[in-house]
Amino acid sequence: MAHSIRISYSACHGCVNCIKSCPTEAIRVINGSIAIIKDLCVDCGECLRACARKALGLDDDDWDLIHTHGVAEGLPDPTFFAQFGSFWLPEEAKKTLSGNGIDLLTDEAELAFDLSAYAAARIIDEMSYDQLPLISAYCPSVIGIIQLQFPELLSRVLPVKNPLEIAAELWRKKTKSYAPMTLFTPCPAKITLVREPMGKEPSSIQHIVSVRKVVHSLMASGVKVSRTEPPTKSGWRFPTWGVRGGETRHISKFSGKELTVIAVSGLRNTKDLLQQLELGRLRGVDFVECRTCDLGCFGGVAVPESRFLAHLRNRRIETEWNLSEKRAHELKELYEMPKLWHTREPIPSKQRLPLSSDLGEAMERMKQMKAIFAEMPHIDCGACGRPSCKAMAEDIVREQGEITDCIFKLREGISSLASQILSLADSQPHTIQKRR
Amino acid sequence: MPEPLDLEYDVVADDYQTAGEASNNLKETLKMLGLPSSVVRRAAIITYEAEMNLVIHGGGGRIIANIDEEKIEIKTIDRGPGIPDIVLAVREGYTTASDHAREMGFGAGMGLPNIKRNADEFEIETEVGKGTTLRTVIVFPQDTGKE
Ligand SMILES: Nc1ncnc2c1ncn2[C@@H]1O[C@H](COP(=O)(O)OP(=O)(O)O)[C@@H](O)[C@H]1O
Ligand code: SF4
Ligand code: SF4
Ligand SMILES: [Mg+2]
Repeated sequence: MAHSIRISYSACHGCVNCIKSCPTEAIRVINGSIAIIKDLCVDCGECLRACARKALGLDDDDWDLIHTHGVAEGLPDPTFFAQFGSFWLPEEAKKTLSGNGIDLLTDEAELAFDLSAYAAARIIDEMSYDQLPLISAYCPSVIGIIQLQFPELLSRVLPVKNPLEIAAELWRKKTKSYAPMTLFTPCPAKITLVREPMGKEPSSIQHIVSVRKVVHSLMASGVKVSRTEPPTKSGWRFPTWGVRGGETRHISKFSGKELTVIAVSGLRNTKDLLQQLELGRLRGVDFVECRTCDLGCFGGVAVPESRFLAHLRNRRIETEWNLSEKRAHELKELYEMPKLWHTREPIPSKQRLPLSSDLGEAMERMKQMKAIFAEMPHIDCGACGRPSCKAMAEDIVREQGEITDCIFKLREGISSLASQILSLADSQPHTIQKRR
Repeated sequence: MPEPLDLEYDVVADDYQTAGEASNNLKETLKMLGLPSSVVRRAAIITYEAEMNLVIHGGGGRIIANIDEEKIEIKTIDRGPGIPDIVLAVREGYTTASDHAREMGFGAGMGLPNIKRNADEFEIETEVGKGTTLRTVIVFPQDTGKE
């Protein structure tokens, strides 16, 4: 597993703000600058938010380079349309941007998100009570948290591909074109989704650029939303996925039953909800949607517009949920092609290595760890480069650190050394006459 | 055979804010030991529900987990009111939880049945007016923790 966070070593001063923000304790400071343990990073972007020096960024592609190479095939994230100071209906955006050398794949996106919701609704409708709730597979960062911290819940993740990936495949099928496609991403998580897809299947998407970069570049070249009043009605369903609960609503509208659903956003809510699910406390719920970003993808770290405003704009719009006959037929047909939308392989768990692969040995190390921890100051100062005293104690028994990495322990060591020196200084060789 | 590993947690009565900490802590420890995720999940459920019962019904108490190479034993001990009718208490849906506890989202009467379902051994010793001791064991699947 890779991650999609770029570290600027010249800007990083080795402060400890980011290491404490990371929900999976994936960051360490080593030799004055940070290191991300890649197997632990879930690309939530929280460390970017925590870094005041902007030493952390998205590891995305160079938009200027992509953009100057003729027409760019752009796959818009659902968040894209609320970014230009108003809400842009996808057909308007498509029309305007075609004048800017961008072919916006709005129709494919709409079909793919429809298909994803349709397939999800069919799967949920057929599940029995004790197989439910199922968990949304949309936010790659949530999947990472489940892989690391709630592996027992992996079997509950909806086995439907990310609709952005489905959209790319639909476009390839339709156009038979090999032209490179660029995803406009709100977050590092969707970069990793494309660069390191879960199964063996490679992604159909070639480039990934942040929504922020694309929007800024377009605004700089004078692109504006043509309408003055925001729309109140929209025939487009997929932009609603930008905000928490959008996916849930889409699935509910397509389900034959009255679904009981929970949608939460933010890291803490996500973890709490998953924990309650793991403890078997969510009986009677059919579907849960988690997004690690506040308010959903509008809160993504690479989205320029205020998430509050974007949320507001989205909420004002009345969406058309009834399917046209043509679309209903189309979805039915595509649903019969599971290769297009069903995930190929189960998601592997990504648990941390145990203290030892031998249980007896691991128990011994656990005791050592507890003994070391008991002697530490328990103030989680971060000066050792670890997120907490506990993580420090763990690194020591894993032989990835020394007790003297703790400045308090170092100080204790120096002070005991100093008193030893004093007492040594007092004991003089016999050949020298004692003073006093 | 190495010495067993003992873990102990104090649980405070009516403290709904920190309730759940012991089970989280235990879960992290068991993961670090490399126990199978099914064992970790079952132990987390047992500890969580037992912890809640200490908070809501038992007037606080202690959780003691004892791990050796074959099994984990999880015990809770309290000096609370005791359980007058154990058979009834273990029945699904039976609860004496206060309205306040229910408002906090606890007290669906599924705790003890869930504990029982997830444990390989399950015993309650209780005396009205004196307190309750719950003892559960999860036996590890064969080949657990062998290199
Ligand atoms: N430690 C305890 N001390 C006293 N009573 C208890 C204890 N644990 C459980 N009980 C009793 O058993 C009942 C059922 O417990 P449980 O199945 O966990 O459901 P709930 O906690 O939701 O009420 C409780 O309502 C309570 O009357
Ligand atoms: S992106 Fe999230 S998980 Fe990855 S290092 Fe940053 S805070 Fe940690
Ligand atoms: S909530 Fe959306 S923007 Fe945030 S990490 Fe998940 S997919 Fe990305
Ligand atoms: Mg209970």
